[in-house]
Amino acid sequence: MPNDQYGIGASLLRKEDARHLHGRGQFVADIKLPGTMDVGFVRSPHAHARIRSISVPPEARGRVFTGSDLPRIKPIRITSQSSGAKAPAWPPLATDKARYVGEAIAVCVAPSRGEAEDLANSVAVEFEVLDAVVDAPRDMRGSRHLIHEQWGDNLYIERVVEGGDIEAAARAAEVTVTRQFRMQRQSGAPLEGRAVLACRDHRLDEVVVYSSTQTPHTLRVALGEFLDIEARRIRVVAPDVGGGFGPKARLYPEEIILAALALELDHPVRWVEDRGEHLLTAAHTRDHHYKVTAYADRQGRILGVDSEIVVDAGAYGLWPQGPYQEAAMAARNLPGPYTIANYRARHYTVATNKAPLGPYRGVGRPGACFAIERIVDEVAWAVGRDPVVVRAENMVRSEEMPFTTVGGMRLDNGDYPQSVRLCAELLDLPGVRARQQKGEPDGRLIGVGFAAFAEQTAHGAAEFVARGAAIIPGFESCTARILPDGSVVLMVGIQSHGQGLETTLSQITAHELGIDPARISVRHGDTESTAFGFGTFASRSMVMSGGAVARASRLLRDKLCRIGAHLLQCDPAQVRCGEGAVLGPQGSVSIAEIARVAHLRMDGLPPGVDPLLDATATYEPAIGTGVFSYATHGAVVAVDPETGFIQLLDFAVAEDCGTMVNPMIVEGQIRGGVVQGIGTALYEEIPYDESGQPLAGTLADYLMPGAAELPAIKIGHLHTPAAATEYGMKGMGEGGAVAPPAAIANAVRDALAALGAPVGAEVNETPITPRRVLAAIRTARETAAKA
Amino acid sequence: MTGIHLHINGAAIVDDVPPRLSLADFVRERRNLTGTHLGCEHGVCGACTVLVDGEPGRSCLVLAVACDGRSVETIEGFAGDPVLAALRRTFHQHHALQCGYCTPAMLITARDLILRKRAGSEREIRDGLAGNICRCTGYTNIVTAIAEAAQEIGKEAANAQ
Amino acid sequence: MKAPAVDYIRPRSLTEAVDLLAHASVEARVIAGGQSLVAMMNLRVASPGLLIDIARLPELLTVTNYSDAVTLGACVTHAAIEDGRVADPSHGLMPRVASTLAYRAIRTRGTIGGSLALSDPAAEWPAVLAALDAEVVLYGSSGRRSLKCTEFTTGIFQTRLAQNEIIESARVPKLSADAGCGYVKLCRKSGEFASALAVVVTDPRRGYCRVVSGAANGAPLVLADTSRLVAEGPCDPGALRGTISGDLDRASDRHFDDFERNLHTVAAMRAVKQVLV
Repeated sequence: MPNDQYGIGASLLRKEDARHLHGRGQFVADIKLPGTMDVGFVRSPHAHARIRSISVPPEARGRVFTGSDLPRIKPIRITSQSSGAKAPAWPPLATDKARYVGEAIAVCVAPSRGEAEDLANSVAVEFEVLDAVVDAPRDMRGSRHLIHEQWGDNLYIERVVEGGDIEAAARAAEVTVTRQFRMQRQSGAPLEGRAVLACRDHRLDEVVVYSSTQTPHTLRVALGEFLDIEARRIRVVAPDVGGGFGPKARLYPEEIILAALALELDHPVRWVEDRGEHLLTAAHTRDHHYKVTAYADRQGRILGVDSEIVVDAGAYGLWPQGPYQEAAMAARNLPGPYTIANYRARHYTVATNKAPLGPYRGVGRPGACFAIERIVDEVAWAVGRDPVVVRAENMVRSEEMPFTTVGGMRLDNGDYPQSVRLCAELLDLPGVRARQQKGEPDGRLIGVGFAAFAEQTAHGAAEFVARGAAIIPGFESCTARILPDGSVVLMVGIQSHGQGLETTLSQITAHELGIDPARISVRHGDTESTAFGFGTFASRSMVMSGGAVARASRLLRDKLCRIGAHLLQCDPAQVRCGEGAVLGPQGSVSIAEIARVAHLRMDGLPPGVDPLLDATATYEPAIGTGVFSYATHGAVVAVDPETGFIQLLDFAVAEDCGTMVNPMIVEGQIRGGVVQGIGTALYEEIPYDESGQPLAGTLADYLMPGAAELPAIKIGHLHTPAAATEYGMKGMGEGGAVAPPAAIANAVRDALAALGAPVGAEVNETPITPRRVLAAIRTARETAAKA
Repeated sequence: MTGIHLHINGAAIVDDVPPRLSLADFVRERRNLTGTHLGCEHGVCGACTVLVDGEPGRSCLVLAVACDGRSVETIEGFAGDPVLAALRRTFHQHHALQCGYCTPAMLITARDLILRKRAGSEREIRDGLAGNICRCTGYTNIVTAIAEAAQEIGKEAANAQ
Repeated sequence: MKAPAVDYIRPRSLTEAVDLLAHASVEARVIAGGQSLVAMMNLRVASPGLLIDIARLPELLTVTNYSDAVTLGACVTHAAIEDGRVADPSHGLMPRVASTLAYRAIRTRGTIGGSLALSDPAAEWPAVLAALDAEVVLYGSSGRRSLKCTEFTTGIFQTRLAQNEIIESARVPKLSADAGCGYVKLCRKSGEFASALAVVVTDPRRGYCRVVSGAANGAPLVLADTSRLVAEGPCDPGALRGTISGDLDRASDRHFDDFERNLHTVAAMRAVKQVLV
């Protein structure tokens, strides 16, 4: 059956590969428009300062623009629906105050980027430097300084998530474990930075904005709103995008500024950010502080969790959703895949003088997973039982599902304890334990650690409304079109930037229509030629866009069958699509022939059937609360107790994402996410000094994992199809990045258990650097010595 | 402006360039060869890797003027090159690329590893890829693809003898 | 960022290069591989007015194999050393070190002379050449002179290279057949700059033993007492550790925090172990 080769479940090789293997991808910086001038920005060197004056040398006039030179630009505003949420107006070019190092103050236009930077260096800005707010937990009430003076404090929002009776749980506890956890600030750091190319199209009376974005349609909405232009006069194109991971799913001031410049100057203008600019001003991510107390019985059954969560969200909120989701998501996911009945999470989203915080693979979940999975292990240590067993015992069992956790997550289906067992099997846990017992000839300490999570995906409108979201990405869309020769185009509102959706979406249509994917083109990223959709983020594209593709394909299928039956002179109930044709009881007619009739030979159409083969459909999943993929990750580490250096020896993922449209691509997403999670766990950090200066400005400081540091990532699958989605698919793109920090921290804990026993050395902060390891060992030894 | 004569992908090129122009910007902006990508411009990420006189080099850290009289190969070249052809096949078969941004440089680096016989084991390949960051794939499939291409090329060489 | 505007010239001889350096009316710098200099220009932390390209000068590419030493031209690349394409006076130490230096695509262009001239505190060659008791040969408008590497690098990015001088070569004494070498580079990510380096060279036949700490917050640090102790043969680990610590503490021109002191001590211990096992 052809469908086995290229339908649902086939590891079809990717259509995207051809252009990239030959260097013929087209990223924004690869697009050449005659007359293009390059742009560079004057950026604030201070974290917090009043702008007293901006002096542009006479020879640079007309080539340097400040906020007052571009009055058409309106400040960026977020309209959160959450009561009490504060949203500062954010002028794309700062005029009164700079609130983070790197904030744009002026834009310079020149024939080349180098010359634009020369111009930027010639602009003199006079600042009155103010003290910076850099410690989110300490400064959230604003006792020292206010970033947005009209607020009265430095809180975007504060909330409590609670359920059950946490005080009762505290009283009933036989074991109480309290810890603080910290996930340091980092960058999403896709290999291609941000880039924008903007120009006017006079023929179509449009401004065209090419941007390396994950969300072209909503970017168009933003440009319309903040430049006061009708959407019909804006075209946004996301061409090839070299990685997004979340930071490119938000509006940036630079996008508005470039569009405004194109309108002002009437020649194309281009901004291609460099790595330093990216580390400085593209969305920062993670940066969570946790205080967590777990109450348990002496078996390690967790009765309740009480927590405080602080998210350092930087100086402004990123449009459209602002910073509010991060802490809320952490609070709602902190109970993990567990049956914890009593819960409280007070969460605070704090403004600081740092670059704005945005979503990055997993968003609030890697931090939450780090906190809960470390605490679960500490409960296990406290009661003297194996963390693997304690973890599985606390998990929601499949017969209890659907189960709504105390964080409000309605877990649909799956066998969570089985994922723990499978992960242990993939790592050969008995073998690792034996190696640990034996000891390493070089004196390094072996450790193994696990972490589990459930990932909410493809959630619908109700969920976003409940979060107070400004816009509701609760659907996706597809226009499916069969052309006069029978070839197919799918026009979709998502934006594939590595996920292989040009391949997997065509597999869905191949499944529905029996057409070879090689005859199907997937168009995405261009607002001109695709139906409105929200883009690719939140592990949503396969389910949401796949669902829309399925529905649109079925509409076409039905019409093909009607026309085909007419041409075959039989009843529509007697025909079906397959093998590139409509197949009837006594013959078949090719889809190409039907398409010809539908366009060029309408005299062949049955009565009541209009020409064209064109269908648009939207999709929202049947259950608004989402479908949950889940996994257990396991890490084996070797820790050098003399230096604190860590080597990752092995890493395994036992996961379940329901029906996999393309298993090869699913595994690619898992491995990619895992390595990003390893980056969070061991390497990536943007530290800030007291004056708000970021201290990682190049890739020499901001370390990202390379092949030499990593083992092969092992994967095992469980298969529990979703009940509420097309084909039983679940989203899974982010999951890989959620658990590695927790699994690795638990492995380090396991490795260092003997040092400073009985307390053991713990590292509860990422990245787990040699300094932090040695500090933990020292603390554990000192504690043990005092005892 | 400084006059330069060099070869790019086998073609003789004559041009006048500002000395500050990197080789990367020269091939991208002046020769319209955009398959070479920029990811950091300080030599760490490897996305800009090309061949200069047959050896891999960081085109972001090489000035175009310093390439006068030299021979440069970018991903758009390698026509008929059997090692690159093998790598393209195995990269495709093993899903060794996702967004594609690191891919041209990854292929050029992998080809050099195979030719210098430094792709004989997983450890060797991983060490050889240290200078090429990929943010999407997690490297597992890239290593598999290179190992398979290396074996294929090794067999062909053995058969040829 | 993009490099600032600069002029460029490629002299055809070393004499011409030195002449250009002496008579430049703007800040002139020689450029060989450019792997550090162009990166600095791209980050706009260096803005020379004139680049004098010496990468292809035949005088700087010459390698001479003497009976007791090898001179490596300043523009010999790290890759050439790694591959064993040039004579090796160090019984494999220098090729081994070269293979840990940055990444292959950097090594094909970066040069040993460039590394010495910059003397980045975390760089490998200054520490290794100090351990090998190498000399650097300098060529200037007043002629040629030699300095021990240990005297050449004086601090962080600081050397005794005069304004109008160019490094011509490094002269490395040949190790005896039974000499021993130890080399430890501690870093988290393959190819990055070291957090700590330790190099041990012991050549009893020549009565030579030297232990050097690199990436040590200053010029490479010769651990004098440790060198004497190691020369005597296998020793008690506690005594070795104490001697190393003493050498580190006595370095008055720099400061180590506890983590750094520990890391350099461990690196030196392990490098010594490679030699004394």
